[in-house]
Amino acid sequence: MVKHWCELKKPHKISKIKNIHAKTAASKYDVIIAGAGPAGLTAAYFLARDGLDVLVIERGLFPGAKNCGGASLMAEHTHKLFPNFWEECECERVITDQSYWLMTEDSVLSSRFQSTRLAAAPYNRFSVKRSNLYRWLANKATQAGAQVLYSHTVTQVLFNTSGQAIGVTTQTSDNNRCLADIIILADGANSLLAERSGLAAKVTSANMSLYVKETIALPSAVIEERFNLLPGEGTIIGLIGYPTAGFNGTASIHTFRDSININAGMAVANFAQAGFNPNDLLERIKKHPYIKQLLVGGQTIEYGGALIPEGGYHAIPPLVHPGLMIVGDAGSLVNGTHGINLAMWSGFYAAQAAYAAKIGRDYSTQKLSLYTKLLDESFIIQDLKANAGAAKLMRDLPYAFDLYSRIANETAYQVSKVYTMPKRAKRQMIYTKVKSMQPVFKLASDIWKSWKVIR
Amino acid sequence: MQLQNKISLIHFNLSDNTPHVAIHNQEFCTKCKEKHCLTVCPTGVFKWDCLVDSPIVVEYQQCVECGACRLVCQFDNILFCYPPGGKGVIFREG
Repeated sequence: MVKHWCELKKPHKISKIKNIHAKTAASKYDVIIAGAGPAGLTAAYFLARDGLDVLVIERGLFPGAKNCGGASLMAEHTHKLFPNFWEECECERVITDQSYWLMTEDSVLSSRFQSTRLAAAPYNRFSVKRSNLYRWLANKATQAGAQVLYSHTVTQVLFNTSGQAIGVTTQTSDNNRCLADIIILADGANSLLAERSGLAAKVTSANMSLYVKETIALPSAVIEERFNLLPGEGTIIGLIGYPTAGFNGTASIHTFRDSININAGMAVANFAQAGFNPNDLLERIKKHPYIKQLLVGGQTIEYGGALIPEGGYHAIPPLVHPGLMIVGDAGSLVNGTHGINLAMWSGFYAAQAAYAAKIGRDYSTQKLSLYTKLLDESFIIQDLKANAGAAKLMRDLPYAFDLYSRIANETAYQVSKVYTMPKRAKRQMIYTKVKSMQPVFKLASDIWKSWKVIR
Repeated sequence: MQLQNKISLIHFNLSDNTPHVAIHNQEFCTKCKEKHCLTVCPTGVFKWDCLVDSPIVVEYQQCVECGACRLVCQFDNILFCYPPGGKGVIFREG
């Protein structure tokens, strides 16, 4: 009896070579991951590398088939997880140029930083096409020994009577139940699985942003000429103000090898309030005099839309449950423009926790909470906490992006314009102009509120 | 560029007539004044001919599966799930 008990308690040695008979008899995996995105595939890679039996279930026909939106890969983050990834992953351009444009109907006030220092290994950022990135990650996971099942939609998480997650069901005619010791939900921004299993509340229209994108094909040389880029180098331009038609939101231009992506979006609640179609925003941006110029001769090759969780720290649901963890966008782990890297790290931490749980044969919330502990200690939660007030600030100051872009552009216009009046009188005039757009005390209060949030 | 032309650029693997987006009860729609679903959808899945008693038509075949519609419906009246494996939208360009 004691011997038997000791056997059970002994750490479970996991070998690369699996017992085939045991597997076919039970058809049970160590870990099932719902969703083959950056979070799910990173978790799958590290778990498979440590010898666990991993099944990734993806509803798309191939990796990235369900994802769109201009994406950039943070080199340092990815390099730490997958050393020298740029030798394997098909990246579009090395980002050596980061620009922000504050826009009004007729003006652009921009800040631009360009440096060849960012073009040398270990680089800073890459623009990537999602399908290439996801395919590379899927190959890594598969090579490490994980099994990736495409064209299967996970419909339900199965729980036993004590509330422990024990498997999933998929929408196929045969063999639609898969069992596992640990389930990882990596099913993206609109995590219906977490919601319908009662693990997370339904996301709200204020906490989710809807982004639409348009991919426009242009020859590589034309892109480099128009954006003033060296061959192979790329830019990401953040567009603020005019693009979101008076609401708080953002747009961006990502340069790929022979195409560019224009993205625009804001909170779903803003779209509801505005009453215009998201595509109208894109079309409006494309008509801006300084954007139009960049797109001449381009051919639209794809259009799409996606949700991004932007509720910040306060919107994060409980991430650990008995036998189950939530990673990436499904767990609302997005901070400003950082999403893919947070997803990958959360997948990595979840893999650590799952491995420790498997070794200890303990899949309780307590054991798996190693995942949230690692998250809390990492930059992810620390940064999300630091910016926790950002989402509320955007709601409190719904005019911020529009009004302050206008004020900045008006000031820049007046400063640039040469008048016959004395300089002192010009300064007075600019001050009066700004004051007429926003009272000084209100301006000071908004600056103070923003200062408190963005630390 | 017209929205309909843009939608024609998207690849869809059409499912076998099983809608993954649907309106649960059209009665709520007649009561609903805002009808946010008509404007929020990036591909205009929800269509209405602006006649009082006309139902809202759901053209789920052109859905890009973002799920924004279910968040804006005040009556929680939109049924949304993801299409069967491999079906629905296919993005290629990232």
